[in-house]
Amino acid sequence: MMPIRSFAGACLAALASLCAVAPAAAQKYPTRNITMIVPFAAGGPTDVISRIVTGHMAPTLGQSIIIENVVGAGGTTGATRAARAANDGYTLITGHMGTHAASAPLYPKLAYHPEKDFEPVALLAGTPILILARKDFPPKDLKEFVAYVKANAEKVNAAHAGIGSVSHVSCELLNSILGIKPVGVPFNGTGPAMNALVAGQVDYMCDQIVNAVPQINAGTIKAYAVATPERNPSLPNVPTTTEAGLPEFQAQAWNAIFAPKGTSPAIIATLNAAAVKALDDENVKKRLLELGSVIPAPANRTPEALAALVKSEIAKWTPVLKPAT
Amino acid sequence: MDLFANLAHGFAVAFSPINLLMCLIGALVGTLVGVLPGIGTIATVAMLLPITFGLPPVGALIMLAGIYYGAQYGGSTTSILVNIPGEATSVVTALDGHQMAKQGRAGPALAIAAIGSFFAGCVATVLIAVLGAPLTKLALAFGPAEYFSLMVLGLIFAVVLAKGSVLKAIAMIVFGLLLSMVGSDIETGASRMAFNIPELADGLGFATVAMGVFGFAEIIRNLDHGAEMSRDLVQQKITGLMPTRKDLIDSAPAIGRGTVLGSILGILPGGGAVIASFAAYTLEKKLAKNPSRFGRGAIEGVAAPESANNAAAQTSFIPLLTLGIPPNAVMALMVGAMTIHGIVPGPQVMQKQPDLVWGMIASMWIGNLMLIIINLPLVGIWVRLLRVPYRLMFPSIVIFCAIGIYSVNNAPVDVILAGVFGLVGYWLIKHDFEPAPLLLGMVLGPLMEENLRRALLISRGDWSVFLSRPLSAVLLAIAAGLLVLAVLPSLRAKRDEVFTESEG
Amino acid sequence: MADTMGHTASATDNMTRNTSVALGIVLLGLAPQIFELVWSLGTLVGLGAGRGPLQVVTAHLTALVTSVPSLIAVLAAVPGMILSYFSPGSAAAAAKSTLSSDELLALIYSYPLFAVAILTLFVRIRAPQDYIGGVVLMAVALFALWASSDLQGMHGFSFGAGTAPRMFGVLLVALSASIALTGLLHEGEGLSHYSWRGPLFVSAAIIFFALAIRPLGLVVTAFSSFLIAAIGSHETTWLEAVIVGACLTLGCAILFPYILGLPMPMFPRFLIQ
Repeated sequence: MMPIRSFAGACLAALASLCAVAPAAAQKYPTRNITMIVPFAAGGPTDVISRIVTGHMAPTLGQSIIIENVVGAGGTTGATRAARAANDGYTLITGHMGTHAASAPLYPKLAYHPEKDFEPVALLAGTPILILARKDFPPKDLKEFVAYVKANAEKVNAAHAGIGSVSHVSCELLNSILGIKPVGVPFNGTGPAMNALVAGQVDYMCDQIVNAVPQINAGTIKAYAVATPERNPSLPNVPTTTEAGLPEFQAQAWNAIFAPKGTSPAIIATLNAAAVKALDDENVKKRLLELGSVIPAPANRTPEALAALVKSEIAKWTPVLKPAT
Repeated sequence: MDLFANLAHGFAVAFSPINLLMCLIGALVGTLVGVLPGIGTIATVAMLLPITFGLPPVGALIMLAGIYYGAQYGGSTTSILVNIPGEATSVVTALDGHQMAKQGRAGPALAIAAIGSFFAGCVATVLIAVLGAPLTKLALAFGPAEYFSLMVLGLIFAVVLAKGSVLKAIAMIVFGLLLSMVGSDIETGASRMAFNIPELADGLGFATVAMGVFGFAEIIRNLDHGAEMSRDLVQQKITGLMPTRKDLIDSAPAIGRGTVLGSILGILPGGGAVIASFAAYTLEKKLAKNPSRFGRGAIEGVAAPESANNAAAQTSFIPLLTLGIPPNAVMALMVGAMTIHGIVPGPQVMQKQPDLVWGMIASMWIGNLMLIIINLPLVGIWVRLLRVPYRLMFPSIVIFCAIGIYSVNNAPVDVILAGVFGLVGYWLIKHDFEPAPLLLGMVLGPLMEENLRRALLISRGDWSVFLSRPLSAVLLAIAAGLLVLAVLPSLRAKRDEVFTESEG
Repeated sequence: MADTMGHTASATDNMTRNTSVALGIVLLGLAPQIFELVWSLGTLVGLGAGRGPLQVVTAHLTALVTSVPSLIAVLAAVPGMILSYFSPGSAAAAAKSTLSSDELLALIYSYPLFAVAILTLFVRIRAPQDYIGGVVLMAVALFALWASSDLQGMHGFSFGAGTAPRMFGVLLVALSASIALTGLLHEGEGLSHYSWRGPLFVSAAIIFFALAIRPLGLVVTAFSSFLIAAIGSHETTWLEAVIVGACLTLGCAILFPYILGLPMPMFPRFLIQ
């Protein structure tokens, strides 16, 4: 233990939280603007999805939803702030697979618990994950890829966009399925990682479909498989992992709205209804599909389904990520 | 030629009234953001992103691009007037720019910064149009080993720009490197020297430290007894607003060299643009007949880095436009803006979205023209601001800085940290340590460490990669040469220097 | 830190001057412990969580005593220690794991500075500005070494989280020691004069801003901070400051939330509801 350190930290943290005293809950919800915390940079996949969906939710609710990007520590900074926010329904968060599942095993000192500190509201959309490689990487398809990386486990390099990023955790999952431990080369975000892959400095990586489609179409990198049950309309020629012979690897960067623990069920229901309505809107649907996103089936849009998803995802990531760090 | 057809098409797009308006708004907001201390381009572009939802994609990107390079123009203003660099790129401008202001030459300094930026912007725009595609190869040729060597070179630049003791400058760089280590480790995610303070989990922000050691420290020092005299002097002896003929002749070659250096370094997506301005400054100082003028108000020391950082700001669009890969955080936001409009940039964006790419390139030239038209008349206003009595000026600067720092992350702790760094900076001034090398160490530290570790991971711990890769070896050789040049004369001249400066 | 020894003494009474410098360095060597003690006073009124003042004092006093054996052991094995600091699974790492964080603080930070303080008594400081500058910077470097002592070092061919911070920490210790040394070898400038009014009120304005911006909003905070900062100069006249402060606040209230669209509260929270 580091008494001085943790102590000084606690004091500063207390100082910071002093500034965030909760106002009393309003009776008729919503009566003022709602803040939606997005724990990632503006313009990223999670941000774009929440902007598209909340843009449609706002008129339904009759109040505007202000997006606040709280960036840092793999999204856990924003999630921590949301967990500590007042549970009056005026502060929400768009969490994703990293902040609300993978973070639990990744950060032992996490200041919140994905299940215990949040009320699930609604699942929004997921972006499928692809297995990508530099364009001159020898294997031609997924089967060859599996054989190659297993045979050359000492030599291959896997890029990722930083600890806790979607590309990092999904690659860890792939590696644990294959039973290999390649050298993981960390980059600061998806852009630099993609740059290294295009330049051929690293061998393979896993990433969300949005960033990769134009590069694949231009032939600067190649994709082996998409880790969802169905092929993606934006990349009709890329087989699924099931088709290509690695059905165990299923991963999707899902995004979902959460509220701080103790938010009243009535508010949750109002928000969920607005989100579901947004997902049914043709325009929203079209724009989400353009991003290569997968829109959840109606049965999966309830708060209960989201709670179940969080539970299953934590169970899925914990064994993969625990020994990694 | 295809190029002219493309450019003509681009200008046709950029000259549409809506796009001209967007360009103007971008330039104005950019200037404002640049001038206000602490308000970063990243924060502003992020805030304005939702507004671009309702705009046509080309207009939206023209506006965001305008903010980005407009901020480069504005950024020099606070550096020169009040010695507060808002971005890493304007740290160097503050060195000579603020000295010029102290000598009553704020007008020429601001004007030459605008003129240099304009020239650099024009040249770089043409470069993007003509050589964008082939230059992309350079961006891809730089791997972790090359970036590491480039950052080593950058640190040597930081030594060269110190005007006092080399030993103290190196110590400040290392201090900056140590500060940059605070936060999560890139490879393991372990929290380093963060003392469990959540706001430190991602490290100390550049704005926080820069506002502290430059902004607040400068204010505190100016409040010292006896400092009033020199301050009043600044306000009384303001001379001409525009550069003289001699100024122009002196700065012309510096602007040219700065433009070339900045254009080349800007293409490198992994932090090349950051070192553009000090590379340019170092080059001028080394080429100058009388290097001792630097740091004491040499106009080349403003002209070169300002041209370099504006050129770099323009050419850093190359990886985005030709590869679809955003080289820095602001560009990543622009990719976000495109994504929102359903355009995901990639290597084929030039063929698939000619309106967007060529419209944007053409708008950059128009934007630069607008910026110089906006900025030159503003020089008069800025200089008049210096006449505001300091007793009213300094609380205003404190408030602006505090709001600026707060706005970066909406974190009150950042403001307190900046205050702490203000006291640290005050102490550093009292002990004759220069804050500029510290800031450069802080900016380059993470880039250097990350690339070193990446390079070693890829080479499996083989240190020889830095010498066996030709580009990296060349960069290291230049760095070694510069270091020798920097250290030798100071060792030799040490005795005389001590002797001459003891009277001051 | 250095403000405490900021007074300039005449060159004639060299010995008394050195004693005060040495005392200052000892104080600097105990600064983190004293800092924690001050913080811990907060627990008495229920602010924050951590050790109480009594615990802090006893823990650090014990640590200072109990680390003495390791100090002797380290001194006996200095060369080995330096080498093994960077290598994995070394004896030093094993020794470290047995020491508490408090003991490490004493060992890595306090005792080296005590040694410098003792040394100070026996030398002639020719350039106080450089000497004290170097020593304080050395303290910063030693503190960084302690702060990064719990991080993983090299493992195999890849750097650990702690490798680079320790490398630069050691480098800074060396550099600052040479700066201090030049302060002993070459004649140079004395300590400059520190004033208290500017630093105090500017810092107060900044701290007030940080604490008030969220609960009180931009308008109240900016105006009050302006006035607090204005006290920092003896040239300030009240009427003028209030008028300019009000105008500035108005300008900020329009500029930041509306023109630049930065999300910040405008008015105190209790007024909104």
